[in-house]
Amino acid sequence: MAGVIDEYLAGLRRDLAFDPGLADRLVAEVEDHLREAVEADPRGATPDAERRAVERFGLAREIAAQCARDAIDRQARRTWATLAIAVVVTFVAMRLRVTWLDDGSPLSLAPLVDRYAFIAALVGGLVAWFARRQSAGALLGCALGLAASIVAGVLRADLFGSGAPPWVVLPAVAEIAMLVVLLAHLAGWLRRLKQTAALRRAGT
Amino acid sequence: MLKGHLDAIVLAALEAGPAHGYAIIETIRSRSGETFDLPEGTVYPALHRLEQAGLLSSAWTTPPGGRRRRVYSLTRAGGAALAQRRKAWDRFSHAVEALLGRKRAWPA
Repeated sequence: MAGVIDEYLAGLRRDLAFDPGLADRLVAEVEDHLREAVEADPRGATPDAERRAVERFGLAREIAAQCARDAIDRQARRTWATLAIAVVVTFVAMRLRVTWLDDGSPLSLAPLVDRYAFIAALVGGLVAWFARRQSAGALLGCALGLAASIVAGVLRADLFGSGAPPWVVLPAVAEIAMLVVLLAHLAGWLRRLKQTAALRRAGT
Repeated sequence: MLKGHLDAIVLAALEAGPAHGYAIIETIRSRSGETFDLPEGTVYPALHRLEQAGLLSSAWTTPPGGRRRRVYSLTRAGGAALAQRRKAWDRFSHAVEALLGRKRAWPA
């Protein structure tokens, strides 16, 4: 049968599910704290001592809510860093592609797509950067940048059927893979945002 | 009111040397003459936040025959931040005392 402390720690871990790394760390620290408090209890290490230690510690949900407030800023910073790296890598990949694929034909779309996709992504990134304190604006900027980059990626699908050499195809594949990772990161961030928003509401 | 100064209080509690969460809370309680008997759990998010900000560093340690625990230390930036918050607090508390009529306006 689980003790009071074990139940408390399980609850804390559930409430901190938005950041598994933080949950591991905080649960370990809190366990150490609570066990020490029980050992220091003048009335002995009993289930009642566990209950008193947990009561003095405070509600797990309130602690998780405090962590959520801090985590949301950290997650935003990570997302912007990822976005900035993605934009830079996209730019480099596009410049290299133009260098390799520019066949001089007036009908060639590649340089046009690359140029405007990057500008759109850059504008999106800048909007996100300046709106970093407002999640709705940041999200819109992030989505704009991603959408522009994805359009560029889809339009360059001709690369794969054109029999282009591997050193041309590989950077494009790498870029699309990176965008998929970025999208997954964005989806995870949205999920955590939802969890932290719920915790904020619960903690205030 | 205490909530707004929690970071400074935690930094001050670590000024004397590295300590783990439980000891930090005990230090806060005893140095405040039991006045700051805050819910103990509120200190851990603050510790984590201060570490993320580079004001504290931490490491897991296992004392001989003891439990594994995370010990926090003030970084150089943390020391500077504490000095800065102390100055701000001095200005604030002198101003409040002057307003409440127990002291003359500060600086004189």
